Amino acid sequence: MAIIQTKDLTKIYTIGRNKTVVGLNHLNLTIEEGELFGILGPNGSGKTTCLKLLLGTLFPTSGEAYIMGKTPYDVEMKQHVGFLPENPYYYEYLTGKELLLFYGKLFDIDKEVLKEKIEELLKLVGLENTKKLSLRHYSKGMLERIGLAASLINDPKILILDEPTTGLDPIGCRDTRNLLIQLKDAGKTILLSSHFLSEVERVCTRIAILHKGVLLTTGKLDELMDKYKSVNLEDLFIKTIDEYEEKIQTQGVAQ
Amino acid sequence: MKKTWILAWNTVRESFRKKTTYIIILFALIMIAASEFFAFLSAQEQTKMIMDTSFAVIEFFGFLLAMFGSITAVSSEIEKRTIYTLLTKPITRTNFILGKYLGMFFILLINFVIMTIFFLLLIHFKKIPINIAIFKTLFLIFMELLVIASISLALATFTSDAFNIIASCFLYIIGHLTSYGRQVIEMTKNIVIKGLADMMYTILPNYQNFSIRDKVVVGIPVPWQYVLIVTGYGIMYIVIALLIGIYFFRTREI
Repeated sequence: MAIIQTKDLTKIYTIGRNKTVVGLNHLNLTIEEGELFGILGPNGSGKTTCLKLLLGTLFPTSGEAYIMGKTPYDVEMKQHVGFLPENPYYYEYLTGKELLLFYGKLFDIDKEVLKEKIEELLKLVGLENTKKLSLRHYSKGMLERIGLAASLINDPKILILDEPTTGLDPIGCRDTRNLLIQLKDAGKTILLSSHFLSEVERVCTRIAILHKGVLLTTGKLDELMDKYKSVNLEDLFIKTIDEYEEKIQTQGVAQ
Repeated sequence: MKKTWILAWNTVRESFRKKTTYIIILFALIMIAASEFFAFLSAQEQTKMIMDTSFAVIEFFGFLLAMFGSITAVSSEIEKRTIYTLLTKPITRTNFILGKYLGMFFILLINFVIMTIFFLLLIHFKKIPINIAIFKTLFLIFMELLVIASISLALATFTSDAFNIIASCFLYIIGHLTSYGRQVIEMTKNIVIKGLADMMYTILPNYQNFSIRDKVVVGIPVPWQYVLIVTGYGIMYIVIALLIGIYFFRTREI
């Protein structure tokens, strides 16, 4: 069953008076329940635009997006979604514990359950000893960890993670990777956006490669590797992008 | 509604952790200094000056707090991009605007109560009788601050901070001059100017309606009926401003 779906999802940004930039170009994507799906692409490829459209912070120019069959603005749907933004932007005047409490309350979680959940999550991300430290004193890695904990506060069915390993040291990356596998095994659907190919290769079952707002390819990782005769994800990634660039250049020359 | 309260509480917490209460201390110092400054006047003049200055100081510092507080309540979420995460939680954009406004209501209320206590202590110390008219004046100043906060908050949903500050200050000044402006306009023969001025007078809030201190300090009674009508007038502007803010915020991309 498709739990996340986009239909011809398009976003065109207007810059200045007449200039427009295509952020996302007729994206058709289907993510099944329980998948750990990776969206890959170089910087500016449309990964974050796609996530913002799915989460309703941006409005599409055309096309549709659905999570659990609901539009991105549905409050009931958001009750089941956890989100980690690309850069950890949180209220720096709050402590880690207060941040989790604040977000937890927005999910209307029972007070006692929330209290236990916060302790559990702080332990899970290794911040149990810094829960009373205000976020302005957190390092980038610590902010990433508290962000991950915050995204899990509602025990979400769907987890949307935008570059979750940015700012983490190798141990932090490994822990996050293991956590994602655990969450997938627990039946969560995970949509992971990243340009760290080795991370994606290790955890994702299916992927999509975006470039300049266009979906270049999507499918099971091993099937795509066979199709593009690639030795690894990096090779596959470069081949699909080069192929697209060549196609564009050929079309340009022909015109 | 519960989510609106949670957002409001976070707004209050942010304000106090950013130490905006220093404004009150500054206010207290100014007020005390002002009362000493007028010590050379006769007892009757001194009473009038202390009352008038104190009301003006409460209103002015309240205006600054209402304007800057409302602007930063929205713009800091957008500039620091905390809104990006917040809006992915199960809240509506209407919850966000109402939560911010409710938060501003409590911030203004707390600051206003502290300023009022200082003021009452001062007049008690100066042996000036405390009467109901003082509370009527203070209440209407508070209503004015709530209107200012709602307008600045609404503007923050679709304008830059700089424009918002200019617009809020412009409205504050014009809002206190509309009665005088109207008298001047009455004498104008140009129909276009008269029409425009009439339109502005109708649309823009007349903050002078909330100001009864000129009457109170000289002992002219202000009926409760007037206080009620002006309260209704203020609530009407608050509702309109919040509806405008909600409309623009719902269409804003983050």
